[in-house]
Amino acid sequence: MISAVHRVLIPVLLLSLFFSGACTRPEKDKERPAVIVFKHGKIAGDPQQFRQIIERFESENPGIKVKDETLPASTDEQHQFYVINLEGRSSDFDVFSMDVIWVPEFARAGWLRDLSHLLQAGEGKDFFQGPMQAVTYRDKIYAIPWYIDAGLLYYRKDLLEKHGFRPPETWQELIRIAQHISERERGVYGFIWQGKQYEGLVCNVLEYIWGNGGDILEDGRSVINTPENVEALKFMRDLIVEYEVTPPLVATAIEEPTRHIFGTGRAVFMRNWPYAWNIFEREGSPVRGKVGVSALPAFPGKDSASTLGGWQLGINRYTRNPEAAEKLIAFLTSPEIQKQLALTIGYKPTRKSLYHDPYLVREQPFIVNLYDIFMKARPRPVSPYYMMISQVMQPEFSAALSGIKTSEEALSSAHRQIEFILQVEQ
Amino acid sequence: MTERESGNRYVIPALVLLTFVTIYPVSYVLYLSLYRRLLIFDISRFIGLDNYLFLFSDDRFWNALKNTVYFTSLSVSLELLFGLCVAVLLNRPFRFRGWIRAVVLIPWAIPTVVSARMWEWIYNTDFGILNYLIGSKINWLGSPFWALNAAVFMDVWKTTPFVAILLMAGLQVIPKDICQAARVDGAGGLAIFRRITLPLLKPVILVVLIFRTLDAFRVFDAIYVLTGGGPANTTETLSIYAYKVLFQTLQFGYGSTLSVVVFLCTGGISIFYIRLLSRGIKRTLHD
Repeated sequence: MISAVHRVLIPVLLLSLFFSGACTRPEKDKERPAVIVFKHGKIAGDPQQFRQIIERFESENPGIKVKDETLPASTDEQHQFYVINLEGRSSDFDVFSMDVIWVPEFARAGWLRDLSHLLQAGEGKDFFQGPMQAVTYRDKIYAIPWYIDAGLLYYRKDLLEKHGFRPPETWQELIRIAQHISERERGVYGFIWQGKQYEGLVCNVLEYIWGNGGDILEDGRSVINTPENVEALKFMRDLIVEYEVTPPLVATAIEEPTRHIFGTGRAVFMRNWPYAWNIFEREGSPVRGKVGVSALPAFPGKDSASTLGGWQLGINRYTRNPEAAEKLIAFLTSPEIQKQLALTIGYKPTRKSLYHDPYLVREQPFIVNLYDIFMKARPRPVSPYYMMISQVMQPEFSAALSGIKTSEEALSSAHRQIEFILQVEQ
Repeated sequence: MTERESGNRYVIPALVLLTFVTIYPVSYVLYLSLYRRLLIFDISRFIGLDNYLFLFSDDRFWNALKNTVYFTSLSVSLELLFGLCVAVLLNRPFRFRGWIRAVVLIPWAIPTVVSARMWEWIYNTDFGILNYLIGSKINWLGSPFWALNAAVFMDVWKTTPFVAILLMAGLQVIPKDICQAARVDGAGGLAIFRRITLPLLKPVILVVLIFRTLDAFRVFDAIYVLTGGGPANTTETLSIYAYKVLFQTLQFGYGSTLSVVVFLCTGGISIFYIRLLSRGIKRTLHD
């Protein structure tokens, strides 16, 4: 019987040996141009304008060709793509853009090349502190911040003026104004934001939690179930059921539906990212010239907080062209190109000095006005386990907002699960 | 070599195959479920039954189990009820019967992901045909109350034809002369259905129940495409929870623990039905 098994196994093993040998790549021809693959999410605006920037890089660096490839729009799908491919040691792409929350995880997994040497001494100080914090893991820099985002409050200048209000600085003011105006203007909601079970919900909730003096992690332990956090989460639910300034539809809304409601003039206030501004100011937009932007309101006696977003560029550890890949990143994050990206497709620069650039100040005053908000924007918990923690928080926050659980129940359940995840390190 | 021995030798390829495709993966998952394993960070530590202990205090697990049981019991009973009605109707002779039988099968023939996408649009609050027809503004997939029921409804729509076809096959083997004899004795249609058709159909009904309960208990694609488990995890089933833990956050240890629980549950269900079935068959033979 044993011999029968052997008779089958040995050829199979030999065959697999043969194929594994056959798969090794032949030596690379040094003469051909190095092709680097740049993976990223959808680029805003006209694709032609981004293509021109890539072409400029190619003409400045003869011998390097760049193939840029777009991934699905959902960041969760992008994350899954990178995790599966990098875990499989894929070298099919060299440079890729990462959401601000991924870098510690990817760095911990050993999938990113250390890029500390790309920034000259002191150059790191030119970048906003939030993104720098997000790309630094154990004192090394694993990605270069490419463009920045942060949560903002959009308001209707015309409606506030008409009813004699100034932009709100505290949440109580916002509630009062929203109630006043939505009672008097037909079909206008008070305040809309993003409450669907997804990453954007975590961004929204964190702004209330931080704004109330709370946090999620402290020294690598969960502090999610503190009284401040319970109060903050309960306040969000109260916006819907108690103050009735937020319609229940936010419980299933992501960015675009809220942008659409606000953009057709059906809301006084909206929390959203900076991208919405350009769309409101487009020709034919019903709210053109009527929209104001400010930092989010604060709780009494506390500071307003804004969640940091944005994308960073890193290099795949398994790349075969690290030098060319580094050149591309240095090029795309250089002051000149960041400025060009701001002017053409509205990406907000991560370099602080650009916000004093006279040309940019004149051409894009909106971007320049966001400086103070970007200065204060906070990254979500910087932890290799962030994606797992977020998977825990999303349903619990969603349950609290839709009233399935109380805020206490939701946060203490989240606390137990986060502790279980963090136990891995102990 | 005796005939028996050479016979055994012919079974070996099948055994080897089964070992590779079932026994090895199942035991590997059992082994993984005793570990704290995060592949991407090279963390792998034996923790005994800790994963199982956490499971008992994990609200999300109990919630997923509750959703799975609700989904399974409601969808399987509705499918059986409707499937029986359709089977009885299609078993009667009428014109175009062949055509109608074929048409009824269409929902079953469409791949689940495609029909889930289709239903996603049917349920859409603003543009969906369902709200248009009944003139409402219900957020079917966004409301914690409706979402799971909407998923059940889609599953019933999709799988009733399958149940009906199996039951129809069962109806066709019931000898016509028994019914005729009953009618001669003065039994009405309802009495014949209750006293003759149903008891004789019982083995087929049990087979249908095994198939459907096991399928529904492991439901993944339909709900994943329709709602992704939301809102607030009110539609998250055990398979979706296990998938998210295993493949979205790559926690192989705890994810395997969840898979083991799904495996034990489906195993339990199969044993329960198989007992019921064998008892049913014995009784039919005795009668």
